[in-house]
Amino acid sequence: MKRSFFQKHAIILIVYALILVLVVIGAFNSEHFLTLRNLTNVMRQAAYLGTAALGEMMVILIAGIDLSVGSLVKLCVLVSAILMDGDPDNVWMAVSLTLGLGLSVGLIHAFLINELNMSPFVVTFASLFILKGISLSITTKPIGRASRDFLMLYSEKIAGIYVIIFFFIILILMMMFLLNKTIFGKHIYAIGGNLSVAQLSGISVKRVRYGVYSLCSVLAAATGLLWLMRMGVGDPVIGNGLELNVIIAVVIGGTSLFGGRGTVIGVLGGVLLLTFTDNLLVILGVSQFYSGLIKGLIFVAAVSLHKMENR
Amino acid sequence: MRESQNPYILEMRNIFKSFGGVNALRDVSFQCRPGTVHALVGENGAGKSTLIKILAGALLPDSGEIIFKGQKHQSFSTRKALNSGISVIYQELALVSQMTVAENIFLGREPRKYFGIVDKKRLKIEAKKLLKQLGFEVDMDMEVGEMTVAYQQMVEIAKALSKNADLIIMDEPSAILAGHELDQLFLIIESLKKRGVTIIYISHRLEEVFRIANEVTILKDGQLVGTKPIKDLSRGELVKMMVGRTLEEVFPVSFNQLGNPVIQVEEISTKTILNQVSFNLREGEILGVAGMVGSGRTELARAIFGADPLTSGTIKIKGQDVVFKNPADAIRSKISLVPEDRKYHGLFTKLSILNNITLPILSKISRWGFTDKKKENEIVERERQIHSIDMTSGNQEVQYLSGGNQQKVVLSKSLQTIPEVIIMDEPTRGVDVGAKFEIYQLIRQLNKDGIAILMISSELPEILGLSDRILVMREGKIVAELTPNETNEEMIIEFATTNTQQSVP
Ligand SMILES: Nc1ncnc2c1ncn2[C@@H]1O[C@H](COP(=O)(O)OP(=O)(O)OP(=O)(O)O)[C@@H](O)[C@H]1O
Ligand SMILES: [Mg+2]
Repeated sequence: MKRSFFQKHAIILIVYALILVLVVIGAFNSEHFLTLRNLTNVMRQAAYLGTAALGEMMVILIAGIDLSVGSLVKLCVLVSAILMDGDPDNVWMAVSLTLGLGLSVGLIHAFLINELNMSPFVVTFASLFILKGISLSITTKPIGRASRDFLMLYSEKIAGIYVIIFFFIILILMMMFLLNKTIFGKHIYAIGGNLSVAQLSGISVKRVRYGVYSLCSVLAAATGLLWLMRMGVGDPVIGNGLELNVIIAVVIGGTSLFGGRGTVIGVLGGVLLLTFTDNLLVILGVSQFYSGLIKGLIFVAAVSLHKMENR
Repeated sequence: MRESQNPYILEMRNIFKSFGGVNALRDVSFQCRPGTVHALVGENGAGKSTLIKILAGALLPDSGEIIFKGQKHQSFSTRKALNSGISVIYQELALVSQMTVAENIFLGREPRKYFGIVDKKRLKIEAKKLLKQLGFEVDMDMEVGEMTVAYQQMVEIAKALSKNADLIIMDEPSAILAGHELDQLFLIIESLKKRGVTIIYISHRLEEVFRIANEVTILKDGQLVGTKPIKDLSRGELVKMMVGRTLEEVFPVSFNQLGNPVIQVEEISTKTILNQVSFNLREGEILGVAGMVGSGRTELARAIFGADPLTSGTIKIKGQDVVFKNPADAIRSKISLVPEDRKYHGLFTKLSILNNITLPILSKISRWGFTDKKKENEIVERERQIHSIDMTSGNQEVQYLSGGNQQKVVLSKSLQTIPEVIIMDEPTRGVDVGAKFEIYQLIRQLNKDGIAILMISSELPEILGLSDRILVMREGKIVAELTPNETNEEMIIEFATTNTQQSVP
């Protein structure tokens, strides 16, 4: 009766096997690929996608969806750049206000879903356009400036690891802890697994939703800050289409779109797979236009694998 | 009134509840004494589940009040009910199938270490202890969705026990249990009673009610018929109060006109549990399959139906070897399955009754891809009459039917394809006494029309009363073949539980 380890984790194993295949292809086709420099670059890029993806994952685990991630990242890049305005004294203020902005957006999402009974799709789809609209009404050109020391963080290292990668690793560990060890985490899986059972068990579904949507939006805000660190200015093109990449990464990683199933390791695999794909395309000099095509195919493959796994 | 001298732990007063046009409860009042077992009986759709859902805070009453442990409540929330000491075993299992046994048992009340961190070790130990008390040993890390429903039911019971409640409500907990598990359940109920716990027990098996209940409350069509001490009632009187008329509980007689074998099963085995199972099923025969939970009865049904692959052995239909790769192949060979778990395998609960019933024959009743609405309505009306389904209209969603009526819809659905063989897995699970005998009549009628029936059941009276032949399974094997008038319940249980093996012809 019990499914074996391989059956249970088929998707994750396949995802990591695919990553390995990409690495091998990369190594054979370019001497630059397997350099430490390129690999740490890929990791840093993965941190950008991954930070947002881990938030999205939680939302999808409770059988919700957040389509506003890309727009929120965009708004947060702009807002943080404007607030910081190149002044090192403004860093803490800018960072906390930006994260606060994310928190409020998440709370509003959860409020509409909880109290007005709106569907997550509708709420966050509206939010996608509203946040984008606000951003573009602020500016259509790069705006504001990161302070110098904030910008320097991008190339700084802690214990020999880039700060951004370090941050990402901590985040991964925290998410694993949250989902596997805490009651909050158990309740997330329960709500996604069977909403009515969760309610009957006395779980406060509303409270969990507030937590999950805020966390997702705070992580989107954090992603915005990471972009500012990289770009140095508030560029309004940041975040375009990001929500789709994020959702694809989450689903490739074996998270069920119906909720209740999914692991951090899986999502990390999804993030790495997408990032390696992009990197390889650049290195091989393939047009970026193929990127969407390839990701789409991987996405379909992942979902169909998921179906087979759940048969 | 001085609540402190209240002899009751629970009083529900003048409860009203309607769903749209349906009056599920009209002015229902009843009381429970502490430390007793209070049975709640009534036909399918009488309002039993609705009443206890109100008590559990899962539904809000339109009006009425609840007095629990001397405290008056307009209504409960699920939290409030839990915290004040009420725990419920719902009729439709309330488990999260992706989560493990231990996680399910303590869902919403996980033992914690600090900062909201789950104490996984204690979680497992406590869960294991509870299940052991119930006489069950399972892998705590197993996902609930991978277990059979009977095991799931035990998990559900363990979950209710773990809450240390003063009032435990059990909505048909025994529907899928038999023999040993049932005895275990009754032992537990006894010991709970001794500890002063009150139990509200809902069941359609009246012999259970007479065995364990102190008092019984009868509901009919959403109204209270009465509350009586069980010792003041005979079975006949109780049935009369439930259905409003005297009911002759006799099994329809066998026609005993057996034809040629339709299915010959020869030494089939599966990866799961089936081990060299062989038998014949003949035209016009009802072959009863008895056995404990986990003895492989459901697996046998699935294997014949092409839902699980065979690892060895053959199946012949009318003398010809067949290999069913999937259920669609089996259906094409005119085999139909009435599955054990209607909610997950038998019905689309969010679709209408009409859509469910006509789904298997859509191609037959449509033209150019358009369904014939008139024909569909006719079919549903016909089925409503044949099976006396209690429904407002064919457009009602199946999820809003009472449990027993859902079962009738499943039966009706599986008959639409006009099968030659029907495999029924617990066909009367959750069905009330009146309807049960209607279903028996129906099974007999099908049988008279020459349809062969393989009937898996945990209800021994039904196995004995209806079968032409009885197979008893244990640990994936057939351990005995019996003739109904040469055997009895004790003998079947004996074969199903002990290691003696009768030679099978
Ligand atoms: N959510 C709902 N919406 C509409 N009607 C409902 C709903 N829940 C129950 N009903 C109706 O209320 C009536 C009482 O149903 P209930 O489930 O309480 O019956 P029951 O006594 O538990 O029956 P059973 O023995 O079959 O489980 C039925 O007619 C049923 O169709
Ligand atoms: Mg019921």
